[in-house]
Amino acid sequence: MKHKWILSLFLALWAGVANTADTLEVDNAWIREAPPAAPMLAGYLCLENRTDTPVTLVGVESPLFEFVMMHRTETVNGMARMLHQDKVVIAAGKRVCFEPGGLHLMMPAPEKRLLAGDRVELDLLFEDGTKRHITVPVKAP
Amino acid sequence: MLYSKMKSNIATRVAGRIIPVLAALWLLVSCSQPELPQLAGGTLLPEARPLTPFTLVDDHNAPFTQDSLRGQWSFAFFGYTHCPDVCPNALGALKRVETLLEADGVTPLPRVLFVSVDPARDTPDTLAGYVAYFHPAFVGVTGEDAELKLLTRQLGILYGRSPDSSNDKDYVVDHSAAIILFNPEGHYQALFGIPHDPQKIAADFVAIRDWYEASQ
Repeated sequence: MKHKWILSLFLALWAGVANTADTLEVDNAWIREAPPAAPMLAGYLCLENRTDTPVTLVGVESPLFEFVMMHRTETVNGMARMLHQDKVVIAAGKRVCFEPGGLHLMMPAPEKRLLAGDRVELDLLFEDGTKRHITVPVKAP
Repeated sequence: MLYSKMKSNIATRVAGRIIPVLAALWLLVSCSQPELPQLAGGTLLPEARPLTPFTLVDDHNAPFTQDSLRGQWSFAFFGYTHCPDVCPNALGALKRVETLLEADGVTPLPRVLFVSVDPARDTPDTLAGYVAYFHPAFVGVTGEDAELKLLTRQLGILYGRSPDSSNDKDYVVDHSAAIILFNPEGHYQALFGIPHDPQKIAADFVAIRDWYEASQ
């Protein structure tokens, strides 16, 4: 009986851990191939939260980039500005897309230029401490 | 006798009224400008705005002034090379506009200028490599801040270092996202706001060019 109780607690905890990183759908991920002289790159992806609890993305890491920042392009009265986002919340049952002209990942171009067809390893970091590893293609739109 | 005189008087009076009206109508029709084009998304300045002088530099280190805009149609976008989202989107859209116009047999194609409002980081050499990636004919332009402002203020283009920027190396620049169109006299003729739809911009360009040529 006691064993059963511990087992269910363990399963519940494990499910909680698996919840964010593993049950989130990630698709349409890509990094834009940039001109040779471009110092910054942009990356895009969609996140779909099929659970009944909100999921919070707090950062992105990659061994290839010095840093990856979450930005949102906002255009107000014709003026475009990039706003840094500390976190991006994907509400229960919702889909959030990083896409051109809106949310995007910004990272410095590595020394060796990325070309369409290259693949980049990224880790998505969530507020609950879980990570999701994805491999993202470089594309020329 | 009396009756016929009366009749001819009426005829004279009627003719006296109708002829000036017809003449006025004829003058109006023959001298009036062609009707303004219906645009899909762009904003036309029916009275194109001449530019006051400015001196910038192109990506071959040659001077670029208000006179450099004469002789052909030019699109211009104002941005900077550290801009990973909005600027590649706009230049990608303009590349597509050129492809669409070329497919439609438009000659000569309008020129595309990318004006960097971040001269502290964007040299003419940097710009040369940057714009050529999008299209070999695209031209990079930049210059001293004071000279850039002489141009941008005439166009309602705003820019400035974002207050969010953390340091002097990695700052971001806020900037107007409109694409400006100059006519072959080098005058400010139209603008295209965001979002930049290549199909609409290409169609509007043809409509504006045809209207401009008919107005000459």
